[in-house]
Amino acid sequence: MIYAENLRKEFTKNIKEPGLKGSFKSLFKPKKEIVVAADDISFHVPQGEILGFIGPNGAGKSTVIKMLTGILTPTSGSCRINGKIPQNDRKNYVREIGVVFGQRTQLWWDLPLLETYTVLKEIYEVEDSKFKKRMQFLNDILELQDFINSPVRTLSLGQRMRADIAASMLHSPKVLFLDEPTIGLDVVVKDNIRRAIMKINKEEKTTVILTTHDISDIELLCDRIVMIDKGKNVYDGSLRELKKNFGQMRELSFEVDPISGLDVRKFRENIDLSDEDVIIKNDQNIFTVRFNSEAMPVGDMLNYTLSAAKIKDISVKDADIEEIIRRLYKEGAGGNE
Amino acid sequence: MNKIRKQYFPFMRAGIQSVIAYRMNFIGFVIGGLVYCFVMYYLWNAVFLSSGSDTFMGFSMTDMVVYLFLSNATGEITFSSVSTDIGEEIRDGSISMRLIKPVNTDMSYFATEIGGSIIRFVVFALPVTIGIEIYRYCMLGRIMFEPVNFLLYLLSALLAYIISFRVNLCFGFVAFYVKNLWGIGILKNSIVNFLSGSLIPLAFMPEWMKTILEYMPFSSMNYTPVMIYMGKYGTTELFVRLAVQAVWALLVYGLSKLIWFGAVKKLCVQGG
Repeated sequence: MIYAENLRKEFTKNIKEPGLKGSFKSLFKPKKEIVVAADDISFHVPQGEILGFIGPNGAGKSTVIKMLTGILTPTSGSCRINGKIPQNDRKNYVREIGVVFGQRTQLWWDLPLLETYTVLKEIYEVEDSKFKKRMQFLNDILELQDFINSPVRTLSLGQRMRADIAASMLHSPKVLFLDEPTIGLDVVVKDNIRRAIMKINKEEKTTVILTTHDISDIELLCDRIVMIDKGKNVYDGSLRELKKNFGQMRELSFEVDPISGLDVRKFRENIDLSDEDVIIKNDQNIFTVRFNSEAMPVGDMLNYTLSAAKIKDISVKDADIEEIIRRLYKEGAGGNE
Repeated sequence: MNKIRKQYFPFMRAGIQSVIAYRMNFIGFVIGGLVYCFVMYYLWNAVFLSSGSDTFMGFSMTDMVVYLFLSNATGEITFSSVSTDIGEEIRDGSISMRLIKPVNTDMSYFATEIGGSIIRFVVFALPVTIGIEIYRYCMLGRIMFEPVNFLLYLLSALLAYIISFRVNLCFGFVAFYVKNLWGIGILKNSIVNFLSGSLIPLAFMPEWMKTILEYMPFSSMNYTPVMIYMGKYGTTELFVRLAVQAVWALLVYGLSKLIWFGAVKKLCVQGG
C-alpha cells in the first residue's frame, strides 16, 4: 500500500551570524548550509494498518509526511502509495488521500463550515447521495451539528480540528495522513477523534499514518510504530516489541502514612540501582518510585518499600511508553554521535 | 467544461466572499484609487494650463481625464495580488493545503482572484465609466459612448487581466527561491506602473520608446484596453493590439507553467 524507499530530503539554510554586523554580512554574502531533514527513511505499510509515526520535535516526521503527500519532492529516494508516485501525478494522487496537518487548516476561513464541505464535495466530485450519507456518518461520530453553520474563523480549536478531520474523510480516501491530529485538544475531543479514526479504519479498511506526541493515541490506535530521530529511522515494529525491549520500567505509587514518615535519601541509598534505572518522587503523602524491573524485580521493590514505611495504599502502573520513548531517544541519539 | 466550472466556481465564490468580508479594506481601496485619480487630475491640469494649447501630444484635457480615471479603473479590475498571496502562502507554509487538493494550483488562484475582479468591476469600474460618460457629455455636449468600443474594451481588459495574473504568478514563484517578496515586490510594481503607461500615457513618450513599450507585455496590462475604449486606434491597429495581447497572454501562460514545474520541486515548506 505505502512504500517508502530511502527517502532523503535536504534543505539549504542561510546562516546569519549574530548581531547587526552578521546581518549585513549575510545580506551580501549569504552563508549556506545543507540541513538533512530526512535521511534514508524506508518503511512499508500494508492496507488497513494504522501506523504510528513518532519521534521528538524536529525529527523530520512532517517532512516525511509532506513527501508522502506529494507536497515536497524528495532529494533522493522514492515513495509509492497505492501504486502511484505522488510527485508524478499529484492531482490524481491526492484524490485518493486525506490529509490533516494539526497546525494548519484546509477549511475556508471566511465561510460557514457547511460551505467548506460543499466546496470539497465539488472538488472531489462526490455524488449527492454519497455526500449526504457521508455527512450523516461524520456528524454522528464527530458531532459537527452544533457549529456546522458558523464561519470557520469563529470555531474553537477542538471544533476546528473535528471539522478538519471530517474534511479529510469526506471523499472516502484510501489513505489518511494525520499529522498531529490531537495536538492541544482536551480529552473528550481527543476521544472523539480517536473513535472516528478507528471507525473509518475498521469499516473502510482505510490505511492511516499518524504522527503524535500523545502516547495514548499510539496505545489506542496503532498496530505498529515507526520511530525516527534526527531524520533517521531508529525503530520499526510493534508497540509490544518495543515495550519488551525498552519497557522494563515500572511505576509504583504508595500512599504513605504521614506519621511514620519516610526518609527519601535514606530510601534511595539502600537501593542498589544507578540513576538511569530509578527515579523517586515524593509529593506530600504520595510516594512514587519508577524503576527498571529488570535490574530489580517488582516484588523486591515492594517488599523493601513496605518494610521502610507504613503504607496505606498501593498502585502499580504498567510500562509508560513515554519513558520508553525517552530511553529509546537517548539511545538513538547516542548511536548517531 | 461543466466539471471545470463546478470545481473552480467555489474558489471564485470564496474570492468574492472574502472581498466582501473585509469591507473596510475594500472601501479604502476604492477611495484611495479615486483620491489618486484626482491628484493626477490636478497635476495634469497644471501641465495643460502651462502648455498654453488645448491639446498636448494629441490628448485634449477631456481625453486626459478619461484616460486617468479609466486607466485607474482598469488597473483595479486587472489587479492581481497573486504574487503576494503565493509568496505569503509559501512563507507560512499554507501552500501545503492547496497542494493536497486535486485541483490545478494556478487555476485555483485564478478563480479566487477573478471573483475579486468581478466585484471591483461592478463596484468601481462600472460607476467610474458611467461617471466618465456623464463628464464627457457635460464637457462636449453630446454622448460619446461607443458600445462597440466598450465591448472591445471588456475583451481587451480580460486579456489584460490574464497577462497581469500570469506575470504576477511568475513573479510569485520567485518566492520559492527568496522566501520573502516584499522588497522586490515594490521594485516590480514601480517598474510595471511606469512601463504599462498607467503613470504617464505611452503616447507622451518619445516615438522609439513608445514603439518598444507597445510591444512589451506591460502595455497590454493596462494601456491597450484604455486606448481601445477611447477610440484612439484605427481598425488595423486595433487588431494588431489585440493580437499582441493574445500572444503575450499565451507566452506568459506558458512561462508560468514552466516555472511552476521547476519551482514545485524546489518547494521547501517552512515549519509545521
